[in-house]
This record gives sequence, C-alpha cells and structure tokens, in this order.
Amino acid sequence: MIEVKDLTKIYGAHTAVDHINFTVNDGEIVGFLGPNGAGKTTTMNMMTGFISSTEGSVKINGFDILDEPEKAKKQLGYLPDVPPLYGDMRVTEYLNFVCDIKGVPAQKRPEMLKYIMDTVKITDHANRIVKNLSKGYRQRVGLAQAMVGFPKVLILDEPTVGLDPGQVIEMRDVIRMLGKRHTVILSSHILGEVSAVCDRIIIINKGRIVADASAAELTEGSGNSAQIMRTACTAEKAESIIKGINGVNEYNIAEENGELEITVRGNGDIRADVSAAFADAGVPLLMLKPATLTLEEIFLKIISGDEPDAMQHKPPEKTAENEIPAQEEETEE
Amino acid sequence: MISIYKKELRSYFTTFTGYAFLGFFVLITGYFFAAQNLAAYSANYNDVLVSTMIMFLILVPVLTMRSFAEESRQKTDQLLMTSPITINAVVLGKFLAAVTLYLMGILITAVFPFILSKYGTVDVSATVCCFIGYFLMGSCLISVGIFISVLTDNQIVAAAGTFCVLFLLLMIDNIASGAPITRASSLIFAGVIAAAVAAAVYTGTKSLAASCIFALVGAAVIGICYLVSPTVFDGLITRSLGWLSELSRFENFYLGVFGISDVVYYITFSGVFLFLTVNSIEKRRWS
Repeated sequence: MIEVKDLTKIYGAHTAVDHINFTVNDGEIVGFLGPNGAGKTTTMNMMTGFISSTEGSVKINGFDILDEPEKAKKQLGYLPDVPPLYGDMRVTEYLNFVCDIKGVPAQKRPEMLKYIMDTVKITDHANRIVKNLSKGYRQRVGLAQAMVGFPKVLILDEPTVGLDPGQVIEMRDVIRMLGKRHTVILSSHILGEVSAVCDRIIIINKGRIVADASAAELTEGSGNSAQIMRTACTAEKAESIIKGINGVNEYNIAEENGELEITVRGNGDIRADVSAAFADAGVPLLMLKPATLTLEEIFLKIISGDEPDAMQHKPPEKTAENEIPAQEEETEE
Repeated sequence: MISIYKKELRSYFTTFTGYAFLGFFVLITGYFFAAQNLAAYSANYNDVLVSTMIMFLILVPVLTMRSFAEESRQKTDQLLMTSPITINAVVLGKFLAAVTLYLMGILITAVFPFILSKYGTVDVSATVCCFIGYFLMGSCLISVGIFISVLTDNQIVAAAGTFCVLFLLLMIDNIASGAPITRASSLIFAGVIAAAVAAAVYTGTKSLAASCIFALVGAAVIGICYLVSPTVFDGLITRSLGWLSELSRFENFYLGVFGISDVVYYITFSGVFLFLTVNSIEKRRWS
C-alpha cells in the first residue's frame, strides 16, 4: 500500500508538484496520466526517494521514504524514464549486481533471475553486453531490474516509450501479469495505454490531481444520451423530421461534403425513435452512433477545464462587448 | 558497500581504464627506477617515489573521472539512490575500489626495491615508511578526484577539473612561499575567509540574518585574536596554505620518519573530501 500525503516539490519559483494526495491499495494497477511536464516524473522520483519532497510524505507499506529509506526502498522496484543500465556489463552481470545492491540472498538468485528473464523475454539475450541491445530490449532489462527481489510495489515511468507497436502490446501483457503479484503504478501520456492496462486512472496536470477514477467512471461521468447521425437530405427536411420525434430536447445540424451531420440530445435512449422517424419519412440514415466522449476527449476536457477560466476568457469578452458599441457611436457621428 | 566495490573494481578491468592506469603507473615508475637507481648506482628508492608523484596529475583523473560523472550521465544514479543502500556506502565503495587499483600499482612496483636489495643496501624501514606515505597521499588525491567527479556529469570536465585542483595542491608550497607575510595582508586574508564563509552560509540557507551573524562572529574572532596576540597574524597566509600541502607532509615519510600526526592528517583529508562528496549528492536530492 502506498500513501501519498500533501506531496509538494518546489524548484525555486516553480511548483512542479502541488499538494498531491492519493492512496494505492495492494494489487491495484494505477495509471498516472498527464501531458508532458505535468509532474509525473517528479512525483515518481519523490515516491522512490531519488529526490526529496519540499513538503508532504510518502509511505510505502507504512515506511516513510525519507525517515526509513532503506526499509521503504526494499519494498520498491523502480523503472525510471531512462532505464538505469551499465552499458559495459552483460545482462546477467547487471541483474546480479542489482541483486547485490538489493540484498537478494545468493541461493535465491538463479531461480529468481530465470523467472524474471523468462517473464520479460530476455533469456536469449542473457549474455549480451547491455550497450549493444536495442532500445526495446534495454527497456525490458530495465523492467527486469525493477522486478529483482520481487518488491511489493513497482513504479514504472513511461514503460512503453520508444517501443514498436508489437513490443508495446507485449509490454502491456507483462504489466498486466505483474499486476497479479505486485502493486503497479505506471505513468504515461498515452491514454489508450493507461485505459488498456490500469484499474484506476489518476490524471495529473500542472502538478495537481484533476481526476482520480476508473476508466469506465471517467467515460460515464461525462457521458450523455447524445447521438450523432448523417443523412443526405436537405436541412429543412431533417429539421422537420427531428421536430416530430418525441423526447428530443436539443439538436444541431451541420452540413459537410453534401451530407448533414446532426447531433441530437434527448431523454433516455432515443435511438429507436430517431431511426424509425427517418425511415417513415423515406430518408435513409447513413450513420448513427452514440456521441459519448472518448478518453482522449475527456482528458483534453479535464485538462482545459483545469485552467482558470475566469482569468483567461472573461476579459477578452468584455473588451469585445465594449468595442462594438464604441465603433457604432463613431460611425453615427 | 561490498557490492559497489566489486562492481567498480570489475568495471576498471572490463574497460580500458584499469589496464591503462596500471600500465602507465608501472612504466613511469620503471623509468624513474632505471634512471635514478640503476643508471645512477643509487640504492635510495625513496627518490624514485618522490619523482613519480608528478604522474598523479594524469593518473588520478583517469582513475576518478568516471566514478560519479558516468553514473549521472547514464542515469544509473537513479538505480543506486532508489536501492536500499546508503549514499555513504556508494561513496566509500567507489573510493576503496579506486584505492585498491592504486594499491595494485604500488604492489607491482614494490618489486623494484627488492631488486635493489639484491645488489645494494636498501634502508628497509625508511622505504616501507615512504611507501606508506606514498599510499596515503595518493588516497587523498583520489578522494579529491571523486569529489570533483560528483560535481559534473561530464567525464572530461571531471578530469580537467581534477587535474587543475591537483596541480594547485601539488604546487601549493611554491604558492605559499611567495605569499606576503605582513600582518596587514594576513588580516585581509582572514577577512576574505570570513566573508567567504558568510557567503557560503547565504547560498546554503538564503537567510541574510544567518550570514550576517557568521560575518559578525568572524569579524569578532579576528578582532579578538588581533588584540590578544597579534603574532598569530604573522605569516598567516603561508601557514594556512601549508595546512593544505600534501607534499610537505610527505617529507617526513621520505626521510623515514613515521609520524602519527601525518597519518591522521592524510586520513582526515580523505575523510573530509568523501564527506563533501556525500553532502553534494544529498544536496542535489534536496535542491
């Protein structure tokens, strides 16, 4: 279990992480999501004790990372954004060194290393020199390093960056499997990845948590019963058909490439009524799909919603309002 | 600590560094041995040890430039700092590995006095004493190199910086002998030191009050010392620089005089630089 309380990091005048609070329970896979520069890496570096926090505390299974660093770090495996590899070592040599510094007893090592290397699929490359490995394999060796000693908590900073699509899928499978045995926290700026792997998503922007929920909750929370459809009739005809449908509260018609794109919003499920009404009028529907937001859209919405609207949007509106009457007065004179 | 030590020592021999160091060490020592003992019909090996000290300028940077600079360049410091080992252990492991390599060089070249003893009379106790001093002094310079390596993530900068600092340390007797010895200059020197301490306190704490207190206390100490015994200020610069002189401490060992104070001096000197190394790593975490 990981408890993060009021975690803050201030670099001079810049607040990288601003009073973050969250708890991760045993066995959870949590995705840390945010645009570049949101404070993901800084948070992870503080959670693993690589850098200190300006304020607040991190407890790994009850051990504070700053007060009892050795005990807390024993519970942790960390894969930083750049895998921390010694280029001139062989893979097994490197993993043995990691066993050394993590204090893994000698008799447990052969079995453990075999299991880890099989899991991340580097057994065939065990005797290669690290600097000659491709980027994908380096990332795997980095993950293997984090798994050494089977720590209860794995913290992975952008584990799939720089991998090809096949490797990304493999990496996700590995992470999903690790989730059965470890508590996993991974960061990413790619939504699809987080929603594919994680039970829970924490969205962080400008150093603050702006959302903390499961992927399903996130899509539902901003979902609605809106439908998008396309037809090839005139706008007037479409409007008259929609007006005849019961339960439609709002609609919007836009023309695009000779087709109409119509968004309707109503009470409950209106799909059947809509399609029946258009069929009765003899107008074929070319497309009908629910207008629920994808995670990408939610992500962008949440992040833009996080900006202080009052500060940024209102002043320009006011000036616009003031300018127009002024111009009119001038022309009148 | 053992794990870091083993890893460092292994890395010296999986890369070119260890062999280059030992090869160069033996080559230079062998040259001076041939020139000063064999060609000159002299059985005094201590002269060779003194002459070879110039090679520290090149060899210590070679030995230490990688130690921390390389870790932060390839980001492996993240592995070390997030593993359940202490920073003290990492620093000490690296220092001892470098010292071990240096000791290997000494042990190889220890053959030379044995060769001498076959054909002439070697003062055994004086030679052993000189070897101890030679080892301790080299270790001090290695600790300086390790400290400089932690300040940068570029090996070349680390090497060049170490070279410059070692050059100053080895030249410090010459610098001290040319320094002014008047009381006025000593007072200015003491004032500059006090100001530097206050400035260091200010950069460390960003508290104007604390640095003012340090500056005032410094000024008060200087004033009181001057009133109580002005002779303290005679040649203060020369004496202060003399404290930093590695070579002047070595003179006793060269003469075959084994002084505990000199041993303590060398060990303290290394200790201070290792302590500074640990602190710079800590400071980087907290900044």
